[in-house]
Amino acid sequence: MYSYIARRLVFGALTVVGVSIMVFVIMRILPGDPLVAIFGPEGFTKLSDKERAGYMAELGLSDPLWVQYLAWVKDILRGNFGRSFFRSESVGDMILRRGPLTAEIALISVVLSWLVGIPVAIVSALKPNTVVDSAARFVSILFLAVPGFWVGMLIVLGLLFWFGYRAPMTGASLFVDPVANLQLVIGPAVVLGLGQAAYIARMGRSSLLEVIREDYVRTARAKGLNNRLVIAMHALPNALLPVITLSGVLLGLVLAGSIPVERAFATPGLGFAMFTAVSERDVFVMQNLVFLYAVVFVLLNIVVDVTIALLDPRIRYR
Amino acid sequence: MTVISPTQPALPTTASRPRSALRGLGMFFRRAPFSAFWGCIAAAILVMAVAAPVIAPYEPLKSDFRSMQKPPDEKHWFGTDQIGRDVLSRVIYGSRASLTVALGAVLFGTTVGALWGLACGYFGGRFDMASQRLIEFLQSFPDLILAMAIAMALGGGLGTVIVAIAITRIPFGGRVIRSVVLSLKEIQYVEAARGLGASHKRLMFRHILPQCVAPYLILATTHLGVAIVIEASLGFLGVGIPPPTPTWGNMLADSLNAGLVPPWWLVLFPGVAITITVLAFNLLGDGIRDMLDPRLRGSV
Repeated sequence: MYSYIARRLVFGALTVVGVSIMVFVIMRILPGDPLVAIFGPEGFTKLSDKERAGYMAELGLSDPLWVQYLAWVKDILRGNFGRSFFRSESVGDMILRRGPLTAEIALISVVLSWLVGIPVAIVSALKPNTVVDSAARFVSILFLAVPGFWVGMLIVLGLLFWFGYRAPMTGASLFVDPVANLQLVIGPAVVLGLGQAAYIARMGRSSLLEVIREDYVRTARAKGLNNRLVIAMHALPNALLPVITLSGVLLGLVLAGSIPVERAFATPGLGFAMFTAVSERDVFVMQNLVFLYAVVFVLLNIVVDVTIALLDPRIRYR
Repeated sequence: MTVISPTQPALPTTASRPRSALRGLGMFFRRAPFSAFWGCIAAAILVMAVAAPVIAPYEPLKSDFRSMQKPPDEKHWFGTDQIGRDVLSRVIYGSRASLTVALGAVLFGTTVGALWGLACGYFGGRFDMASQRLIEFLQSFPDLILAMAIAMALGGGLGTVIVAIAITRIPFGGRVIRSVVLSLKEIQYVEAARGLGASHKRLMFRHILPQCVAPYLILATTHLGVAIVIEASLGFLGVGIPPPTPTWGNMLADSLNAGLVPPWWLVLFPGVAITITVLAFNLLGDGIRDMLDPRLRGSV
């Protein structure tokens, strides 16, 4: 087991290095010129050659690329995520201030997706091809198609229109002001949670349908065990394994989805910061945030893999 | 379309016979009427995009300062926006951007991925190892974030959005086609061809590639919906096709600038358009997958 975790961590570290190179390539090399990203294609053409050289030198962009890359890696290892062009707050402080809100949203949405998705999957799988099953399947297909940020906009609009309610605009910590914090978090969490619940319901249904057909479930039934117990104690634990894996994959959906969704709700989280960085063409903030998101995604997937290995000996001893 | 056989791609049998496109379509309607119905809607949206200038009642970019931000009435069915542009016309024209990007990105991304996967599966060895690591790195980014970063770095516009979304699709094509090729490589008819002295090129493109068509089509159709949502999100976040080009994402982003309380018609209609389009392509994709690969029927 420990060797499995160790192997997974080594691969994870390798992936993080690869990811950092890729982020660097995308943000610095792809356009040929970061100034294009900062000033936009039109703004870039208006700059004189001398201005361009001045900006490049000022930003440390005239060094060779590998020097720039190493400098960036060194900064990150020191915990220095740099500074925005437009704001006085350092990126590190911003992550510490805004990150918890997005983490809360992600956590609540994952819990919600299980609370909604699994019961729907069980009902669907126990009565396949009935009206209930068809309805559940259609609703989940619908939820797969609806863009979360649009649902968010509708919710904000509806609350404002019918109840004159608007969530507080400023950030609030869970520990200082839990009520205001909940108001901020609950909207995005519900939208993202229901989006994931649709995937989980679909995966749970097909996985449960497969497991129910297996011999050991028939044996459990044959020895006269109550049907509920058969499902809850025998079928469900095995059926949930692929759902856990899927839930890990869906974390990517949550991390990325929180960007437009936080914009729709005007939630002052990390996703909103990413949106601000993109619209202000703040290349360095973007570079660090993209890297952070990718690292978080890689780490969470390691956690999911290790969880699966703990639960399923077949994987552990492979 | 004659190479598609109803059998599994990995196990080609002699029973697969050429079938005309029309008969295939007829069978699709009989076997999966629900998917076929949504396929018709997808086709209708495609027609709407192509024929936008004929269908749209107004110019999508022309503002009418006498009717700004008017709720829906009989003159403007979907209302008008802040500067008096007809929302219905903009929604109709928006389908162009959405479908161009989705089709372009999925075709480009899946094709590059598939060819890459073909090479990985066929040659194996070090090339395959390195490719798999690279694909893993690509998959370490959540789709939208990777697309955002690339679109931002390249500086916005139709082409860059297509490239940005296409790159996020490459790993899927690469993985799936690679595994198909790995199983095909050992099949007897390929071995026979190799024994007869067929070149690598001939083996890859004449003998293995045709069997990859079904999984390729399945992949492409199932990713259309995702691509549409990513395009809309990019537009909403301001890194998509730049305004004033009407796209559904741009329209939703615009609505947030229409004062403290965005008018409901500016929010509702573009979102409905996205939802119906994605739903149509997803269900069509489900139907195509069920028909081409019966083994996957009913799974996610």
